[in-house]
Amino acid sequence: MATYSPSTHCPSSSAYSNNSSLINRIHQRTTFPSIPRKGFRPTKLYLHQSSNGVSVSNAVHVQDGAKSMKESPVESDGPVKILKDGILSVPPVTPPEESIDVASFDFNKDKSTVSITVVGASGDLAKKKIFPALFALYYEGCLPEHFTIFGYARSKMTDAELRTMVSKTLTCRIDQRENCGEKMDHFLERCFYHPGQYDSPENFLELDKKLKEHEAGRVANRLFYLSIPPNIFIDAVKCASSSASSAKGWTRVIVEKPFGRDSESSSALTRSLKQYLDEDQIFRIDHYLGKELVENLSVLRFSNLIFEPLWSRQYIRNVQFIFAEDFGTEGRGGYFDNYGIIRDIMQNHLLQILALFAMETPVSLDAEDIRNEKVKVLRSMRPLRLDDVVTGQYKSHTRGGVKYPAYIDDKTVPNDSLTPTFAAAALFIDNARWDGVPFLMKAGKALHDRRTEIRVQFRHVPGNLYNKNIGPGLDVATNELVIRVQPDEAIYLKINNKVPGLGMRLDRSNLNLLYAARYSKEIPDAYERLLLDAIEGERRLFIRSDELDAAWSLFTPVLKELDDKKIVPEYYPYGSRGPVGSHYLAARYKVQWGDVGDVGSQQ
Amino acid sequence: MATQINPCSSSSTTFPPSSLNQETFSSAKFFNFSTKSSPSRWVFKIHSRINPKNQFELKSSNGYPLNAISLQDGAAEKPLAKELVLPEQAESNLSVTVVGASGDLAKKKIFPALFALFYEDCLPQNFTIFGYARTKMTDEELREMISRTLTCRIDKRENCGDKMEKFLERCFYHSGQYNSEEHFAELDSKMKQKEGGKVSNRLFYLSIPPDIFVDVVRCASGKASSKNGWTRVIVEKPFGRDAESSGELTRSLKQYLAEDQIFRIDHYLGKELVENLSVLRFSNLVFEPLWSRNYIRNVQFIFSEDFGTEGRGGYFDNYGIIRDIMQNHLLQILALFAMETPVSLDAEDIRNEKVKVLRSMRRLRLEDVVIGQYKRNSKDGKTHLGYTEDPTVPNDSLTPTFAAAALFIDNARWDGVPFLMKAGKALNTRRAEIRVQFRHVPGNLYKRNFGTDLDKATNELVLRVQPDEAIYLKINNKIPGLGMRLDRSDLNLLYSARYSKEIPDAYERLLLDAIEGERRLFIRSDELDAAWSIFTPLLKELEAKKIAPELYPYGSRGPVGAHYLAANYNVRWGDLTGDD
Repeated sequence: MATYSPSTHCPSSSAYSNNSSLINRIHQRTTFPSIPRKGFRPTKLYLHQSSNGVSVSNAVHVQDGAKSMKESPVESDGPVKILKDGILSVPPVTPPEESIDVASFDFNKDKSTVSITVVGASGDLAKKKIFPALFALYYEGCLPEHFTIFGYARSKMTDAELRTMVSKTLTCRIDQRENCGEKMDHFLERCFYHPGQYDSPENFLELDKKLKEHEAGRVANRLFYLSIPPNIFIDAVKCASSSASSAKGWTRVIVEKPFGRDSESSSALTRSLKQYLDEDQIFRIDHYLGKELVENLSVLRFSNLIFEPLWSRQYIRNVQFIFAEDFGTEGRGGYFDNYGIIRDIMQNHLLQILALFAMETPVSLDAEDIRNEKVKVLRSMRPLRLDDVVTGQYKSHTRGGVKYPAYIDDKTVPNDSLTPTFAAAALFIDNARWDGVPFLMKAGKALHDRRTEIRVQFRHVPGNLYNKNIGPGLDVATNELVIRVQPDEAIYLKINNKVPGLGMRLDRSNLNLLYAARYSKEIPDAYERLLLDAIEGERRLFIRSDELDAAWSLFTPVLKELDDKKIVPEYYPYGSRGPVGSHYLAARYKVQWGDVGDVGSQQ
Repeated sequence: MATQINPCSSSSTTFPPSSLNQETFSSAKFFNFSTKSSPSRWVFKIHSRINPKNQFELKSSNGYPLNAISLQDGAAEKPLAKELVLPEQAESNLSVTVVGASGDLAKKKIFPALFALFYEDCLPQNFTIFGYARTKMTDEELREMISRTLTCRIDKRENCGDKMEKFLERCFYHSGQYNSEEHFAELDSKMKQKEGGKVSNRLFYLSIPPDIFVDVVRCASGKASSKNGWTRVIVEKPFGRDAESSGELTRSLKQYLAEDQIFRIDHYLGKELVENLSVLRFSNLVFEPLWSRNYIRNVQFIFSEDFGTEGRGGYFDNYGIIRDIMQNHLLQILALFAMETPVSLDAEDIRNEKVKVLRSMRRLRLEDVVIGQYKRNSKDGKTHLGYTEDPTVPNDSLTPTFAAAALFIDNARWDGVPFLMKAGKALNTRRAEIRVQFRHVPGNLYKRNFGTDLDKATNELVLRVQPDEAIYLKINNKIPGLGMRLDRSDLNLLYSARYSKEIPDAYERLLLDAIEGERRLFIRSDELDAAWSIFTPLLKELEAKKIAPELYPYGSRGPVGAHYLAANYNVRWGDLTGDD
């Protein structure tokens, strides 16, 4: 029953067939590869605009996005229109209506090409994540037939040296080892290097020339991945856009956090970027949004009947977003010390997940519709108050004869640093759905385990027949839905169940979905998904300027206050469960952290 | 932490017998941590088997007469006084008499269940077991016979031999006619000997054909009733063949017994997952909001056996699958499933709610039923005989060995929701399960990808009663990987993976309940009447019109008619989709 979707060239999404279970191919990566900002397919555009009028008139005031909305969602909206005509489940042959698109697409494809320039190619992220992700996409057949990859950095290096460097970290997906070496060779042949300064238009012009050579007259789409420190974002963007923009295709720029340190610096950055780029050329990556289970969050909510009725203050008592790392800065605290855990994890990753979790049902799965809803959530939130935050910093700890260093023992960190390596916060969304429901966040380094998870604790059963036996703490036996993002992706629902046997005893069991047990396939890295999305112009998982503004305005006051008042973090031993202050914070809102003592989560 | 309370707990001690009603009932204010399974998860001891005394206090203060429904029978008689004077367990004596001791059920189920209860220390300290039947046998011979079928629970083999010997020492035999008052008087005097003047409670398990129920009850109640304790009688199906004969049986029993002495057993109600059904619904927040026509599209009750009558069709042929499985087991589960929240977990409150469901149900119509009968089939070189080829079955029998039915509950919660039942012998698998199919997501954002049939990808909650007890919830989930493809995955709870303990047989639970006077899982007269009145018109019509069953091959999935029936109500059987 695989419902086929139009036009995918990425075998990973089409060739998967799972005998009898329903496989639905949804919201496919539409590959109309180059949605030209200058307007390619007018008919679709109009169709879209009319439907888009709705979302614009939709309560939210979209500061930036609105401009781009005219064009961007065409891709995913096109197929809807077609599908609505009734070609719903089709055999794995493209239906007639579709073939037009595909044909035109193929036609384009012959003539178009993608050039991906990794700016900061010698950096850590580039080596560990970006190049491997690009290779994985290539291996899976997800890249366009013709593509070129350029490394750009200040170091002097030859193409061959870059290739050697890249090849050292390329890994093959475990489940598809075939032809790996061969594929790698092919991939490396497409990789080139160009050394240059980040602020030199001339150097970028040289790059442009090289790019043109490789593009050989095809419609050229260009993607720049800025894997560089934030202080040179603007320089690089300026040079790239003025000297190395594509003349005929699109030019997109991926930027990673940090997007400023607070509202002001963030909007200054946005303003500067906007001098050289349009909103829809900017792809702000938050790699947590590319995680499998974060993507699945919307699927769970909106494609199952059983969750959405429960998704409100009426049934949900509190929601917890938990991020824990079991290591410290380990000699790389220089960057971190300037930001701290709140900026590094909470204000972006956890807040993004929160917004996805709490948003209203969007009009469609279209990027602008989803981002509109996310912004609404963020704008309904109370700015965080100092009272509702607990900060911590890890101190040295000796365990099993090993001495683990304190944060300030890190040579790259000032000895008197007050930067929090742990924070817990209680947030509130003052809208009809969530009024009064505490959304708790907790993020920390050097804790006792490594995990990221979402915990939804439900209210107690009103008038529970079994209440008397649960004792005074009704809330200890409530249902809980846990979405474990990493490690060991899983979804489980804690339910009260009768312990088999004579008599009547209850305990909490899990209704389980352990990904490792159900899905044999390796889960792709978040970067693969996000790079592919950027290439295809799918903006769903990228952060729009107004989202970013709204996110900062929640955290900026408290961040300023922390800095101004020089609030001293609560110290906790390396490898511990973090400062106890987080428990008191939770207790104030009658919440108990769900990750402490949860057997199910240890598996 | 953690005193683990005795699992069977009539002996469960610690709560004061003084305080009245609800307080006592809750038995366990304490909730304790499980020591056995996992140290940190909560284990609640709930509704522990209360001793009869408390129960009766509860009942009298919270009794059914107050409740909306008029109870035909139960209300009239309340011989509670007898029970209220019940002294401490240690001083009282329990005699269990298995009438029909040489029968199959007795050997395979009742004695082993009694032994398991003894092994688990769930029987009172002083107990005696009597076998009663027409066969001449000595005590020794009975013990010999019983010992052959006693099995030890797999998880506790320690001292099994020891325990068995001790158990057998308490087993005695008395041979006699089922309609002879003298023989029961003899039994009475033997029992008195063993009881040694202690307060004696007596339980009679009637493991005999229905036509002699009344004789035995007459003799037993006349001659072998306990003078100073309680006397209870357990009867098993069939409770009549239709509304009239069932009413007749009830009336006859009532000549000799009060309603609260009659324990009508439906062993499906003793199954672990059926017991768990109420726990799931009422102790979890996440299910009850969904438990109505707003969210549930249909509910399916499926029972299948992978064998036929195999030479024992004599009894069956007279009843057929509808009476044998549907009208009792499946309908009881349906009532538990669909009932409103009871006022308490008290037996009368639960049974009141069940009766309300049954009384809200439409009479079953002929067009809402499909019947089938299995025919000979050769598979893998082995030939399985057809039903009518069974030597104990008439050649021209029209008795259904398979039936599917669509039922409706015309109340506010369930109006319009089809409740489908399916039961059959000689099918391809053996299973009993409840399937709850939810509606499709309104305005599903992902719907274009489900194809034209929105209902194919809906959520489904499955409670598998047997084999391999499990609960799972089918959810739509994103297949990991690039792109966005969905499939249905299961949120799973497989009992064998989670609970190491062997699950006790339904008979153990029910015998224990009867001993403790816990009536929750037994069927009250008015329930039985309501159940029959749903099925009787249909059964009469089937027989009057001599409707021929659709023949299906032994070992197949049953007659295709079942699919057409389901299709009439836009339902698709969940067990035949192949995605389990």
